[in-house]
Amino acid sequence: MDDVRRGPRYWLSSYAAMLRFDVAAQRNWLPMFLLMQIMFGAGMAIIYGFYIGHLSRAAALYLVSGSPALAVLTAGLIGVVMMVTERQQAGTWDFIWSLPAPRSAAVASTFTVLTLLSVPGIVVTLVLAAWRYGLTLSVSPAVVPAVLLSSLMATSVGFAMAQLIGKPVVTNALVNALIFVMLIFSPVQFPISRLPLWLADVHRVLPVYYLGQVVRSSLTTGIVTNTALSYVMLSAWTVVAWAGTAWVVGRRR
Amino acid sequence: MAAWARSYRRMVAWDLADLRLYLPVLSAVLVLQGAGFVLGIGLLFSNMPESAALFLTTGAPVMNLVTAGLIFEPQLVAEQRIRGSYEFIQSLPVPRSASALAWYSVAQVIALPAVILTLLTGVVRYHLHLAVTPVIVPAVVLTCLTGVLIGLAVAHGVTAPMVANLVSVVMIFVMTGFSPVAFPASQLPGWLQTANQWLPFGSMAAIVRSALTNGALTNGALTTSVPRAYLVVGVWAVAAALVVAWAQGRRR
Repeated sequence: MDDVRRGPRYWLSSYAAMLRFDVAAQRNWLPMFLLMQIMFGAGMAIIYGFYIGHLSRAAALYLVSGSPALAVLTAGLIGVVMMVTERQQAGTWDFIWSLPAPRSAAVASTFTVLTLLSVPGIVVTLVLAAWRYGLTLSVSPAVVPAVLLSSLMATSVGFAMAQLIGKPVVTNALVNALIFVMLIFSPVQFPISRLPLWLADVHRVLPVYYLGQVVRSSLTTGIVTNTALSYVMLSAWTVVAWAGTAWVVGRRR
Repeated sequence: MAAWARSYRRMVAWDLADLRLYLPVLSAVLVLQGAGFVLGIGLLFSNMPESAALFLTTGAPVMNLVTAGLIFEPQLVAEQRIRGSYEFIQSLPVPRSASALAWYSVAQVIALPAVILTLLTGVVRYHLHLAVTPVIVPAVVLTCLTGVLIGLAVAHGVTAPMVANLVSVVMIFVMTGFSPVAFPASQLPGWLQTANQWLPFGSMAAIVRSALTNGALTNGALTTSVPRAYLVVGVWAVAAALVVAWAQGRRR
């Protein structure tokens, strides 16, 4: 009965095997991931402080509690997309799909590894930013689901986007433009009420604002309200990204 | 002299033809960089003081002026090295100074529309009044030329393509985040203020800003005077030119 290639047990053993594969393949990326996340997470929190000049404690708290969200977005949008497009160029995906493991197990393992890979960068970013402004945060246990869901969402969306577009050059150009717009115009480091109405409306559909809210609410008290909606929106984006991934990974060519 | 002028014209034509696909994109990126930055940074403030708006509006054009030279040229040359066309282009029978000046002219022309649009965006968005003086011409020329020369120094001096790319990205990061270009130097920690007395970006901003505001605002730092800023930028330009000459002249 060793050759039965279906069922939950087979899926789980494939998932475990793919986890080993992905951990081995991704470990070289970890320093790179970390560096980018610190640059765009802690770096931007510090740089924005230079621009603003004299920061009140509330303003500093806002910058610090927003910084992990930028680290999450950096990992998902730049890190994951770079990894996926590099594998597209090298033809690695064709190899992975040809392995005797269900594609869903392979994708699940990639998502698991990349989601966890971004956690050290998030933590370091937060510690650095808090240290720079001399703040002590009131971290609640909600930080665990907040960071994990945010990271999973960003990973899934980055992965789905890169796979759906399929052309590395186009994806990279798009991401370069996106990261600039995202770092500057996202209501993560400033309240959404400062945006023009139409842009605020756009951000009430996109996940970035909700990601910032969820993470901020787990690090501070009294700034963020209505976290439930943010969790719902992040979950919705994750599910949509999974659907897109399932479609593009599952189809025959 | 006539031969030099002919080489210069040929190299301008060469650059324009070689980069015909890149230049419109680069131009658009510069506009997005400048105008986007001017609008975006304003969102960080609940109530933006006029001086902050003035620093931002007069600093962002400096980023426009040097980005093409600082980041685009090293990446382009890195690509040439990877493709193997670097030696071919270096072997063209034109004086190196003509080809460097040709690239400067192209970079300057790409940057100008972005500079103007960035300034207009800031003036309209924050209701500012600028007092532009004729000194703006040497200020803009020197800033752009120095950016181009530093970029050329990196492009030709650093032979490993990956390292050259990294250096240019780090320079842009330092310019945007850790130099008193679009905010007063007094908002930086002391050691960064001191470092920026010698780095080129803060001084570039000081000379452009003083030309745009009739000297009313320079750098916000107590010791930075405009003549000193000209001197710092000039020294960087000369030093970069020497590196380029050395890197292109050596035998391999």
